[in-house]
Amino acid sequence: MAKLIIFLFLTLIPILCNSFTPDKPSDRRILVLLDDFAIKSSHSLYFKSLQSRGFDLDFKLADDPKIALQRYGQYLYDALVLFSPTIERFGGSIDAAAILAFVDSGHDLIVAAGSNASDLIREIATECGVDFDEDYGAVVVDHAGYAVSATEGDHTLIASDDFIKSDVILGSKKIEAPVLFQGIAHSLNPSNSLVLKVLSASPTAFSANPKSKLTSPPSLLGSSISLVSVIQARNNARILISGSLSMFSNRFFNSGVQKAGSPTKHDKSGNEQFLTEVSKWVFHERGHLKAVNVQHHKVGETNEPSIYRINDDLEYSVEIYEWSGTTWEPYVADDVQVQFYMMSPYVLKTLSNDNKGRYFTSFKVPDVYGVFQFKVEYDRLGYTSLSLAKQIPVRPFKHNEYERFIPAAYPYYGAAFSMMAGFFVFSAVHLYNK
Amino acid sequence: MAKPSSASSSSSSTTKDAQDLLRALWSAYSATPSNLKIIDLYVAFAVFSALLQVVYMALVGTFPFNSFLSGVLSCVGTAVLAVCLRIQVNKENKEFKDLAPERAFADFVLCNVVLHLVIMNFLG
Repeated sequence: MAKLIIFLFLTLIPILCNSFTPDKPSDRRILVLLDDFAIKSSHSLYFKSLQSRGFDLDFKLADDPKIALQRYGQYLYDALVLFSPTIERFGGSIDAAAILAFVDSGHDLIVAAGSNASDLIREIATECGVDFDEDYGAVVVDHAGYAVSATEGDHTLIASDDFIKSDVILGSKKIEAPVLFQGIAHSLNPSNSLVLKVLSASPTAFSANPKSKLTSPPSLLGSSISLVSVIQARNNARILISGSLSMFSNRFFNSGVQKAGSPTKHDKSGNEQFLTEVSKWVFHERGHLKAVNVQHHKVGETNEPSIYRINDDLEYSVEIYEWSGTTWEPYVADDVQVQFYMMSPYVLKTLSNDNKGRYFTSFKVPDVYGVFQFKVEYDRLGYTSLSLAKQIPVRPFKHNEYERFIPAAYPYYGAAFSMMAGFFVFSAVHLYNK
Repeated sequence: MAKPSSASSSSSSTTKDAQDLLRALWSAYSATPSNLKIIDLYVAFAVFSALLQVVYMALVGTFPFNSFLSGVLSCVGTAVLAVCLRIQVNKENKEFKDLAPERAFADFVLCNVVLHLVIMNFLG
């Protein structure tokens, strides 16, 4: 009986441990922190799209004293969604440092701010590399790109269609309708290579308080205003930061949109498609690569040698897969390169692939000896970065691996033998000379 | 009038002196015995061969450096041994008056054998 229980328990453990692992990088358990539970119903379409893809959403109030990201050193959730722009202090054991540690450990984050965004949310965004406008009352205003509505508004509800050009982040289907946005602006540091503007404002937008008169030109203008940004950290954690919580709402998902100045009226805004696709990217359902099974060997052999000789011919292969949300699919691209590197790349070759995820190439070892590395550095927009390095030494020729008679040395051979012949002739002449 | 003529005469006198010098050297050299002249010819052949190899190396590079050294050393060594033979065989040389020319030739042959053995080993 006891043995049966132990047997059942051991077989069930793999099923019980069905959570985020490197083999299955999609997140499963998501903690959603809200300002109040009305958001749960007013944004229900967005949450339903997440739940229909298999995520477990855990809705909690942001100041609930019982919330925690981790217990006993283990993280309880795989991702965090902050739909609480007004929160001044989180409840429980969560604070800005805990959230940043959560991201540093490789987990994903979605932050939505709004015109009433608190200092805490702004601070979290700044730590992630995104700077919201410092003016607390400022929102994004666009007098030429606003969304046409029945009532005369103050042009803070804008329609933007300035998307980033990336099929990985936004999906392969083009987003036809503009996206409705009503919220605050943020800007990105141009020297930061990890942040990307997914939705930018049009060149006529600016960030200012619509209720007060402008005394000086606004600090954030035009296309440098980012409405929605993503960050892919070096540990491949992905963060989505949006300046508007209302763009996730059912009202915006279902409403029609007409951009001022454009004759086309769309029945449904692009919000639902845009946010669903970006969420797929943020939760690693697209663009997550892994490289496995690096192999190298001399042409004609199959085992991996521990040292190569100069002027050897060798073959290198690696397999790259992309996570599709449920399985690892072969990744097909024609710009993966391998370097044969020692202080600088001596050989740089583009790998050819067999459309099943195996990338291979062959080249001749250069005429330099030393300790080399096979380096694959793959860093493309929207994809996780691949950085592989495998060290291999290269030796010069052994003394018996040269040609027996070197053609460049024939004059020297000739000179030595002519000296010997000359010696014979001279000694004969010298002896028999009178 | 006096200056240009002295200048032209001094330039012509220097060329005349050079020509006189060369002629004197040549006539003195012609007086050497013919066996010494044969040795001189042999030395000149060896040195010329060494120079040819150095020019070839300057053009092509030092790639098998051991072969280059071996070739040049065979020429230079042969020249040096031939010069030693000439010194010992020259009858006007008072230092080696008592040395039999056969002994000098035997030394020459032995040293050449050792030289060529070394050269063959180093040639690669």
